[in-house]
Amino acid sequence: MLTIIGTVPLKGMPLTLGSCKFSNGKLKVDDLELPLINGTSVMIAAAVTTSGSLGIKTPQAILAGDTGSGDGSNLIYRFLRDQKCSLHASSNQEIFALHYIKPNILYIKEAVKRLKRKPNAILVADAGAMYVAKAAGIAKEFDLFTPDLGEMAFLADPEAVHPAYVRNYLFENANDVDSLIKQAYEYSNASNFLLVKGAIDYVVDRATVVAKVVEPSVAALEPIGGTGDSLSGIVSSLIDSGLDIKHAAIIAAKTNRLMGKYSNPNPSTKVWEMLSNIPKALQEAKTVSTLG
Amino acid sequence: MAKAKNQKSLILLNDVSEAIKAEHLLKAKKLDIKVVAPPVEIRIGCDLAIETELLDSYEAKKILEAYKIKPIKIIPLSSTQLEPTDIIKKVDFGDYLMIKAGHMKLSFNKTTGEIVNISGGGCSDIPFLALRMVGNSLIKTEKPEDLGCTLCAYMLQKAYEEAVRSYRRV
Repeated sequence: MLTIIGTVPLKGMPLTLGSCKFSNGKLKVDDLELPLINGTSVMIAAAVTTSGSLGIKTPQAILAGDTGSGDGSNLIYRFLRDQKCSLHASSNQEIFALHYIKPNILYIKEAVKRLKRKPNAILVADAGAMYVAKAAGIAKEFDLFTPDLGEMAFLADPEAVHPAYVRNYLFENANDVDSLIKQAYEYSNASNFLLVKGAIDYVVDRATVVAKVVEPSVAALEPIGGTGDSLSGIVSSLIDSGLDIKHAAIIAAKTNRLMGKYSNPNPSTKVWEMLSNIPKALQEAKTVSTLG
Repeated sequence: MAKAKNQKSLILLNDVSEAIKAEHLLKAKKLDIKVVAPPVEIRIGCDLAIETELLDSYEAKKILEAYKIKPIKIIPLSSTQLEPTDIIKKVDFGDYLMIKAGHMKLSFNKTTGEIVNISGGGCSDIPFLALRMVGNSLIKTEKPEDLGCTLCAYMLQKAYEEAVRSYRRV
C-alpha cells in the first residue's frame, strides 16, 4: 500500500486521510478536490495514473493545508508521531512517500521513528521531507531520495541544513554528480538508494551508481514545475507494485522522460498537461527495460 | 567617524517571513547586513537570521520595531555563519528565459513578461506561490517576499528579482 504524505496549498485545510482519485483532470482525496499544481498534488496525480496503469490499488494520502506558515506541516508531523503502529510482522509492504512539508528537525525525527516501527515500511522522500531528513541526520533511515542536481549538492554538503545554504563551490560542482554522491554517502547524508534527476538520471545503490538514464533527452522539461513531483509519484507506485527499488527507479526515470517526449512540451507547458501520457510512456519504459 | 568593523552580531527573528522583510527594510536603510543561518543549536531546518555590524545592531532593532518586527534576541558573533547561496544562472529557451537562484527556478515569456513556470524547492509555500504567480505578469504579480515564509521562497524572491531585471533589459 502506498501512502503519500505532504501539504497542499489550501489555507486552513484540516488533516485529511483518504483514498486518491484522479480523472478528467480533477484530483480528489477523500472527496475533497485539490488544486492541481506543482508539489504533492502532482505527485498524487502521477501516482494514481501509474497505479491505474499497473492495475494495482490506488494510493492513499495524508494531507493538510499549508501555505508556508508550517501549521499544516505540524498537523502532519503530529499525526505521524501519534500513530499507534502494530509491531506484528505483516507480509504486506507499506510505502510511505513523504513530500512537500515545512522542515522541522525535531518533529521529523519523532515521525520517522514511529513509521520505522512498521516492519515492512519503505520510506521515500522528496522535496521538504528530504531536506529535513538530511538536516536532522536521519537520511539513512530512508530507502529512496529523489534529488535534483542542486539538491544533490545539498546532500553532499555536511554543513547545509537546507538547499538555500549549499556552499557555492558545491553548487558550482553540480555537474560532477559522482563526487557529490560519494560525499553524501561519506557523511551519511543519503538514503539507501538515490534517484538523482538531471540531464542524466543516476540510480544509486548505497554509494554505487548502478544505472544512468539519458534518453530521451527533453530540454524543455527543466523549467516545467512539477516534473520532479511526477517522477516521485511514478517511482513510488512502481515500488508499490512489488518492483525492487533499483528497477523501479530505472523504469520511473525512463517513464518520466518519455512522458515529456510524448507531450512535446515547451517551457510554458504545465506538468498536469503531460500526465495523461504516463500509461503509454510506462508501457514503453517497461519494454525497453526488459530488453535492456 | 568610521565605525569599528568586524565585530558582528546576529539578529534572531521568529521566522523566515520576518527575516525576508527585515532584509528588505535594513538594506533600504543602507545598513551593511546579510542573511545567514542561525546558530546550529537553535536551527529548526528552515530559518534565517540577520548578521550585522555589532555597532549597527541597535539601529537595526529600532528600524525593525518601527515596522512591528520584534527580534527574539541579538547575540554577538565571533565565527562566520553559513549564508544562502548567491549563485544566479540564466538559461535561454528562445521565447522563454529561465532564471535559477540556487535550487529555485522561475521561467517567463521574454515578450509578454508572463511567468510560465516555477520549479524546484520543497517547502510548503512553493505550491502556493506557484498558484498565485504562474500566469501573471512579472511586473504585476504578487512577490515571493510578500507571500512566502520559507527559505525556498527566499530563493524564489532572488530569482524573481533577477527575472524582473532581465525582462526590463529585453
